[in-house]
Amino acid sequence: MDSNEREGAAPGPRPAGIAGLPGPYRVVAALALGAVSVAACWHLAMVFLHVAPSNTVTKRHGATVDAWVYPEFEQNWKLFAPNPLQQNIAVEVRAQIRTEAGERLTTDWRDLSAEDARRIRHQLLPSHTAQNELRRAWDFYTSSHDEDEKPQGERGALSEAYLQRIAVARLAGTYGAGELLRVQLRSVTRAVAAPRWSTETTDTAPSYRELPWWTV
Amino acid sequence: MVDRVRAAAGRALARVTGQALGPYQSAVLRIGIAGTWLFFLLRELPHRRELYGPESPWSWELGRRLIATNDAFSVLMWGSSAVWFEIVYAVAVLSAVLLLLGWHTRAVSVLFMVGVLSLQNRSVFMGDGGDNVIHLMALYLVLTRCAQVWSLDARRAARRRPGRDGPAGPLLWAVLGLVLLYAAVTGRLGAGWLAGFAALWVLQALWWTVERHDPDGAGRATLDVLANLVHNAALLVIMAEVCLIYATAGWYKIQGSRWQDGTALYYPLGLDYFTPWPGLSGLLAGSGTLVMLLTYGTVAVQVAFPFTLLNRRVKNALLAVMMLEHAGIAVLLGLPFFSLAMIAADAVFLPTGFLLWLGARAASVRGMLPGRRPATAGTDLAPEPGGPEHPGPAPAPEPDPEHPGPAPAPLPEPRPEPRPGTGGGGPAAVEQPSAGTS
Repeated sequence: MDSNEREGAAPGPRPAGIAGLPGPYRVVAALALGAVSVAACWHLAMVFLHVAPSNTVTKRHGATVDAWVYPEFEQNWKLFAPNPLQQNIAVEVRAQIRTEAGERLTTDWRDLSAEDARRIRHQLLPSHTAQNELRRAWDFYTSSHDEDEKPQGERGALSEAYLQRIAVARLAGTYGAGELLRVQLRSVTRAVAAPRWSTETTDTAPSYRELPWWTV
Repeated sequence: MVDRVRAAAGRALARVTGQALGPYQSAVLRIGIAGTWLFFLLRELPHRRELYGPESPWSWELGRRLIATNDAFSVLMWGSSAVWFEIVYAVAVLSAVLLLLGWHTRAVSVLFMVGVLSLQNRSVFMGDGGDNVIHLMALYLVLTRCAQVWSLDARRAARRRPGRDGPAGPLLWAVLGLVLLYAAVTGRLGAGWLAGFAALWVLQALWWTVERHDPDGAGRATLDVLANLVHNAALLVIMAEVCLIYATAGWYKIQGSRWQDGTALYYPLGLDYFTPWPGLSGLLAGSGTLVMLLTYGTVAVQVAFPFTLLNRRVKNALLAVMMLEHAGIAVLLGLPFFSLAMIAADAVFLPTGFLLWLGARAASVRGMLPGRRPATAGTDLAPEPGGPEHPGPAPAPEPDPEHPGPAPAPLPEPRPEPRPGTGGGGPAAVEQPSAGTS
């Protein structure tokens, strides 16, 4: 490696880097220097515009930025920003089943998020299956549906299928020899109570968002 | 004046083309990211089929439909069988081990990236910020020469004697070439990915050919210059990426009312998904003053970090604070892998002296560390800047990867992988000593 030569070990040391290359090779290296510099600056500019708030440039060239950044350089570092999440959103499920005897019945609501929380509790290394799976599936659903629970495009459809599959998987084994007919999900949102040391008061009454029944 | 600018530019040019800067920083990043991913894959071993495999609620078909809309890369989409999934998971684990050790890093870093992208893109909604960091760094690491030190590659290069190099490198190259050929023939890769992989594959062959036939010639030196250029640019991008992470996290927080009134940190401590230790969280949440100090401190540190790169001492102090904060987050919020990934990313800013000290400590604990330079490891603790080779402050046009501050770097360190002999491209010369990607 030419670092050794630079140490002066070799007779007639070749200058370090590009200066030590003979003519044509130096041209190649110079072209590469230019290309690499442009590529690095371009990439950083695109990533910067991707994480920056909507601005004059992104309004005009948003498509270029998106085309560069998605899907592999996508990133979101608004961790707990601008404000941290201030409410616990629990996802609950209930099911309509046909029992072995042929009777139809509807189960009670079951708090899946509480089950996640139990799996996280006192764990140094919580699993993504407990921490992210349901939580992010619900985020995905709410971000791809309007207030009337109407799906928006392919993502809406995907998120419904995903949530339903999570619900079915978690209900597995709870209805014995019966048959699972339909599932329904709802979220129960409770604000985190205001700190004891603050004068604020927060309404911690739960609010509900109920999704339609889905036939399995 | 003009002459001085020219001289400075010349020195800078010699540095960015003449060497792959930050050998220890890129090595610690390699080890940190590969180790975090390995740790994660092992921890999730019992859940692997639920996360990325046949038992996932995010079924293969759902994954395929989403990928059809965004063209994300995943070899798991090549087939939906359980066997293929297990193979990919196993290769991902293996590539993480090998990258951690720095074994044929040039090829293995590509394999590692393929493993990371394939699993994560198969089930994007299973991931969090930690996965995002690993995803980006896996891509960037491919472009770096991250195994110049602390790696099996470095050790092999240092110990190389004629005939001692095994056939592993060429064999790996051949196998990966066959996989690439299969993927190309069956149309499983997009044009961009195919071109990228093919270029890397051809470059590796070119590198070996040149190394064998004319190891001291201009062609070989040119390849070295190109590899250094790409490495240095990638390292710059990595450091800028870390700055962007902190800048985004910090500046968006400033706009939040809870970060302004000093209560922001209280709320995550009350979220069921982020309180593995409710007692501990409750204890911290109980003190309004402490919460406020930590809330303000977090924002201040995150916003300030990119600017502290202008001053080495402040940068190092802040780096320590941020690593401690991430260690706290790991336990308190139950985000160990996110924290580990961030600590690994932060580590690219650590000073060489500290990393050498760390390496020496690790070596004394573990007995032997590949790529260590026993003769100098102890003495290099000495102050970094202003070695005899660099008497004056050498202003570089680009931030200096090793010392983002104005301090000049310790320069040409004897490489741990000295060229074996000067003559002849015998069989020994088939292997490339330093790793990373050409």
